[in-house]
Amino acid sequence: MICFDNLSKRYPGGFEALRNVNFKMDAGEMAFLTGHSGAGKSTLLKLLMLMERPTSGNLLINGKNLNRLSNSQIPMYRRQVGVVFQNHQLLLDRTVFDNVALPLQVSGYPASEIGRRVRAALDGVGLLDKEQQNPMALSGGEQQRVGIARAVVHKPRILLADEPTGNLDPQLSTEIMALFRRFQSVGVTVLIATHDINLINRMQLRIMRLEDGELTDDGGGYGGY
Amino acid sequence: MAATESNRDAQRGASGQKLSFAHRWRGYKAHHRDTLKSSFSKMLSEPLQTMLTTMVIAIALALPATLYLVIDNVQKLGGDIESSTQITVFVRKAAKPEAITGLEGKLKTITGVGAVEYISAQQALLEFKALSGFGSALRYLEDNPLPAVFLVQPLVKDSVDLAQTNKIIEAITALPAVDDVQIDMAWLERLHSLIEMGHKIALALGVLLGIGVLLVIGNTIRLAIESRRDEIIVVKLVGGTNPYVRRPFLYTGLLLGLFGALIAAIMLFSGLQWMSGSMANLVSLYQSQYRLEGLGIAGFCTLMLLGGVFGLGGAWIAVSRHLRDIEPR
Repeated sequence: MICFDNLSKRYPGGFEALRNVNFKMDAGEMAFLTGHSGAGKSTLLKLLMLMERPTSGNLLINGKNLNRLSNSQIPMYRRQVGVVFQNHQLLLDRTVFDNVALPLQVSGYPASEIGRRVRAALDGVGLLDKEQQNPMALSGGEQQRVGIARAVVHKPRILLADEPTGNLDPQLSTEIMALFRRFQSVGVTVLIATHDINLINRMQLRIMRLEDGELTDDGGGYGGY
Repeated sequence: MAATESNRDAQRGASGQKLSFAHRWRGYKAHHRDTLKSSFSKMLSEPLQTMLTTMVIAIALALPATLYLVIDNVQKLGGDIESSTQITVFVRKAAKPEAITGLEGKLKTITGVGAVEYISAQQALLEFKALSGFGSALRYLEDNPLPAVFLVQPLVKDSVDLAQTNKIIEAITALPAVDDVQIDMAWLERLHSLIEMGHKIALALGVLLGIGVLLVIGNTIRLAIESRRDEIIVVKLVGGTNPYVRRPFLYTGLLLGLFGALIAAIMLFSGLQWMSGSMANLVSLYQSQYRLEGLGIAGFCTLMLLGGVFGLGGAWIAVSRHLRDIEPR
């Protein structure tokens, strides 16, 4: 599903964020991406979101080389991916419902379909009764769950999460991870960037460790590179 | 067509979105409607900003439109006056009566000539005696010094048509038995060049103020883009295309332009109402039937069209300049 093929990313100014990264993730696989701040986790996720382009090497998603996608094809690609942000990136000028509906609106879904899917997604994260509230009125954990509902409402095949449990207490973190597990069980490929060691230790999952832009440890033993 | 579309959708369905073309089209239309609605309500939610922008646009559109209306009215008035312009044709003193009759016939066949009136030398003398007050002096002359005269009336036209009048004069001069042709051309020429200059001023003013409208709308849209930066980033992250991001701003620009044009039309209309009272008094003193011409339906439509085009254009410039800078990082 996801295949990094000898990928490097150098920023203007010479900083090498990623060096010769190789790994593979199968469809329906779930893995952690860990490492210190500045090790390249964010860059790796940005490459997967096509917010950045690699300097060299290839990134294949479902067999398709992202290097070959033109800028105008980026939106279409992004509709296959769901992203959960650390700072949740919710829009505070609209309700929870409208926030979650956004990915469907941009894809041109009709209103009836949007209503059905948004409610299903909110139900999935246990926030169906909060749909008409403003995200500001919610707790941190609830906001993060709204972010997750928005990330999965369009049924993406890949779910990326950047420090999804960053500001949450252990119990809430566990709840969030359980949610990710549910998506994995229905075939979504889930990649979670985090440096929350406790969380990683609690879960029996493949762990990929980045150090200074190099993939030093691929705990799952997958990939074969 | 629909079949291939849905085929392509099915392939794209790799993304988990199995939407038919008809579904997509309906969603697209609904999105346009919603965008229009939300652009409108966003404008209403900032009434002061919206009003200021709209007023600036209205004034910028009303100024050249007023000038245009003034010229239009002057031109029509000039047309009225011109139609009362006569060409005076002096007949050679030696011309025989048959030649004069022949001349009258020929004058009538010239294109652009309306009425032709003959005043014989005797009639002219009588008129002169009656009107000039030099009647007694004429008695000392042996014979009538006045020539016979044809008064030629060019056909009535809407506008000052100098070329046509010149052509008529040339044709008349070429006729036999014509001694001289007179018309107050200088006056007509002056009016004509004034109108031409007025047109150019209106156009120059229109272009300048049009650029002003573009800048005003561009700036308003730039501020709107800035204030919705977060939203734009999120929309781009969840797969919103550039046209999708652009659309609300283009609608806002279009609405601002149309509102501005509407207010400009109202300004012109009320200004005209205000003036028409005193204008009616003025023209009644001159026993004229002249009425002030307003914008009319065509003028109104042109104004709205211009407002819309300027609004959309200004928004487009702002959007193409500033949206590129807003990319998720």
